[in-house]
Amino acid sequence: MRNKLFRKTDLIIILTVALAALIFILWQRSGKTPLTADISVNGKTVESVDLSKVTDRVEIRPEGTVDVLIVAENGRIRFEFSDCPDKLCVKQGELYRKGDTAVCLPEKTVITVRGSELDAVTY
Amino acid sequence: MKKKALVAVALIIFAFAAVTYFVYAPKSESVDFFAMDTYMSFTVKGRAADKVAEIVKERIICLDEKILSRKRDGSEVNLLNKNHGGKLSAKLGKYISDLLDVSEKSGGKYDFTLGAVSDLWGFGKAPAVPGEDELNAALNLAGADKLTLSGSNIEFPQGVIIDFGSAGKGIVLDEIKTILDDYEVKEAVMSAGGSILVYGSREFTVGIKDPEGGSGYIAVLHVPQCCVSTSGSYERYFESDGKKYHHILDPETGCPAENSLISVTVISQSGILSDALSTACFVCGVEDGIALCEEYGCEAVFIDNNHGIYATDGIKNSLEITDGAYSFADEK
Repeated sequence: MRNKLFRKTDLIIILTVALAALIFILWQRSGKTPLTADISVNGKTVESVDLSKVTDRVEIRPEGTVDVLIVAENGRIRFEFSDCPDKLCVKQGELYRKGDTAVCLPEKTVITVRGSELDAVTY
Repeated sequence: MKKKALVAVALIIFAFAAVTYFVYAPKSESVDFFAMDTYMSFTVKGRAADKVAEIVKERIICLDEKILSRKRDGSEVNLLNKNHGGKLSAKLGKYISDLLDVSEKSGGKYDFTLGAVSDLWGFGKAPAVPGEDELNAALNLAGADKLTLSGSNIEFPQGVIIDFGSAGKGIVLDEIKTILDDYEVKEAVMSAGGSILVYGSREFTVGIKDPEGGSGYIAVLHVPQCCVSTSGSYERYFESDGKKYHHILDPETGCPAENSLISVTVISQSGILSDALSTACFVCGVEDGIALCEEYGCEAVFIDNNHGIYATDGIKNSLEITDGAYSFADEK
């Protein structure tokens, strides 16, 4: 045993360190993603809502908008009101799946649910 | 002693692996902003990601302000419209000749001189149905035949308004692609108001937005590097007296194109073509639209108001319908 290059304990140490490295890298890569909606105004994220924790109605008036009301409720989020002329943002309805996006162009406000499974969506 | 040495070696290996991971793991950078009256979103992976993202944003804003915007004082298009002609820069000359070609091949169904007509409808600002007389007057100030090109000069009657609304987002994609080529970027995705450039050597997934107004998508395209643009009646519209008026105008009538289509997506290596052809195909309808795309070697997906999907032969096998309410029209 004495002349062997590796003792049993050495091997255990090496394997432990390798395993630790592997776990560390996997942990770095995964980054848990609960269902989170980001609200951005003019390209800057002003609010993030963890939809998985939302049950009761939460009203959000994003900073930097003139008159926009966003409502999160029961794991879903939507434009409830905007002072824009066409109300296309309100007509987009509820967002609740990864990658769902609604835009209000006049108010430069975007709601995006993080973590789309697709590379992009064309519209 | 030997044990300690082994621990040290193991730790060094661990440190080396961690450092390698952080140095060589592709950096990812995203920028989101509003320009050209739409929402722009750009994501790039690679070592120079942050620099490329910054350049892309600058270039788009510059392209809009200096060339394409017809509303912004002093842009090239703005000045052309004001002076009913002038000398064209090499870039604008190329865009105009590309669009004139689409206009010709579509038999006039595509028209980028409809500015006076679209102003009457006031989409996105103060939408209203125009009266017949004013519509006819505006139609007399539209049409590719009003433009006279000689060398790098263009002339047209006063009141004609060139409008890049139906091609500007595609032009942005072409412009971004040259930046990505120059910087030897490995992978990037650009969305210029829903016109998409997927860039890189792998297969990408591009969803087609639910044309009935929901926030999700109804089908997924599996495509290599390309540009994907969509024209839909759901994008910009208003309702008046219970009737829906969308923003894609038929150059013949000056009114929203009326056929059974609600969305057309065009896939092309060229951004300006994917953008202009999606509008052209929406006005042309399925049959003529498919013929037009074949002429350009582009692929297209048409969706009608009966949840029927039509696709060119080259893309059909790469189209995955994810919403059970939709199906290929020929399989119904």
